[in-house]
Amino acid sequence: MAIHKKTSYDFYLILATVLVLSIISGICVYGMFYFKFAQLQQMAAPVKAAYMDRMNQIVSPFIIALIVILAVCVPKRLLPTVWLNRFALALVAVIGVVTWVWGVVMALKVALCLTLALQFVVLAMALAGNERLNFEKKGYWLRVGSSSMHLGLILFILDLFFYKHQTLHLALFWVTTVATVLGMIGCFYSPALAEIMARRGREGD
Amino acid sequence: MNLTLLTSQFSQIGQTLITFILVMSALAGSLGLVNVVSKRAVAIPQARWIFLAINLLFVVGFGLICWLHIRIYLTLPLELPGQMVPWLNQEIGAMNSKAAYAFPLFDPSHPPRYIIPLWVENEKYYFWFMCYGVMAFLAFRRTTRHRLQGVLLVFMAIQSAILFMAANPFQKPLPKFFGEIGPWFSGSFSPMQQFGEFMKIYPKMIFYYNTPYMWLHPPMLFLSYSAITITFITSVFMLVKRDPEIETLGYDCAKFGYFMLTLGMLLGYPWALQAWGPNWWWDPKICSSIMMWAIYSTYLHTRLYANKKSMWYFTSGLGILCFVAMVFTFVSSFYFPGEHTFQ
Repeated sequence: MAIHKKTSYDFYLILATVLVLSIISGICVYGMFYFKFAQLQQMAAPVKAAYMDRMNQIVSPFIIALIVILAVCVPKRLLPTVWLNRFALALVAVIGVVTWVWGVVMALKVALCLTLALQFVVLAMALAGNERLNFEKKGYWLRVGSSSMHLGLILFILDLFFYKHQTLHLALFWVTTVATVLGMIGCFYSPALAEIMARRGREGD
Repeated sequence: MNLTLLTSQFSQIGQTLITFILVMSALAGSLGLVNVVSKRAVAIPQARWIFLAINLLFVVGFGLICWLHIRIYLTLPLELPGQMVPWLNQEIGAMNSKAAYAFPLFDPSHPPRYIIPLWVENEKYYFWFMCYGVMAFLAFRRTTRHRLQGVLLVFMAIQSAILFMAANPFQKPLPKFFGEIGPWFSGSFSPMQQFGEFMKIYPKMIFYYNTPYMWLHPPMLFLSYSAITITFITSVFMLVKRDPEIETLGYDCAKFGYFMLTLGMLLGYPWALQAWGPNWWWDPKICSSIMMWAIYSTYLHTRLYANKKSMWYFTSGLGILCFVAMVFTFVSSFYFPGEHTFQ
């Protein structure tokens, strides 16, 4: 029964992710048509800047939602379902309070930093081969890869806040890229990786 | 070697080659159609050989494109009279002091040369469809389902026909590029005019043709588009029948496609900062790319639950939507204005 509950939780989180990503897709399509019909290409820089600000405002609640889902997905690896529910509620409450007091941007930063810290823990545990992590699928490289890929996504969104600090922004961007690429290799090609490592191990013996 | 001779040799050989590709693809497409409608596999070993031959012809054509680009590199340096160089470098230095990304100074002993990537103008379609050919051939060999094999062949034939009729890179090679550099190599200018002409073509050479990102960002996306096409074909089959073999094939292509798409998009990011500065975010092409990536991400997420009956069909639907989003994203470059526009 417990297994069934965990699976359901995962499943609904996946559905929530799908929903949020679909809304973001819809916003992107809206942005394309708005850009064309408002003839923004021919407008002065301040008008374009206003458009970018507006689009950022429209999309930010859904980016927050995506981060919240990630923030729930990440400890899902660490906590049992009961504690996960409590954690999710606490997180939503914290984000709500931060949004109320300091605004959406600060809430996004808080959610990102929290998720990032948790994701680092998950990645470290996955690298150490800890079996207590709750993943949908088994396999050392798959777990490491999935953790690294999601770390890359969180870092990428966080990095967008540093776009005015070019050196830091680009340095973080490359960290993001490396984490994402290694993550995808681990996640998508885990059987091949495991086989290569096993062969190397045999050759070493 | 002058420009006309260079391009006419390229065109003559290329036209012959692409005609062969078209004929072979028509044959493959016909065999494919027969297999799609037939209950039993028809001439699959022969179709495999034809498919291999199409791929080999594509590779030979790609070699020809490489040859053209090497000739351009060797024969078309941007040379300037020696007395102009100090003045030009002074101007470039002044521009560099105000810009985030610097232009290299002009070195008369090593004049700048075009290192044109192999996927500009109509060549991009050639590369894209060649990638599809290779991936579809591997899928063709891997699967035992003759109808799927048939559809892979039909798609190859459609793409070859599009290439021949609407995007032939051999008919008129690199028209935009030669249009841009034509005045420089054919005209006789005063020093001031020559400086003006140089400053017209030099920035595009540095930030477009010769940038290392141009060698990474577009080909990764075209590889991804090819993989998405195969995922689309398998997704349509999944709607008709619950066949794990086809689903696994589609998923393998989807993983590779997603890998290439994500990496390709990421590598476009620092390039965009370099070439356009910070004000390109929410450009229509960027919007459509994010949309495609988001749909692709949802496909990979839902696929984890593809063993549930409803999710099986939902996942297949998303696989089809990925392809629609890809076509929309590509076509958007022609319809929507912005930094990526082909208008």
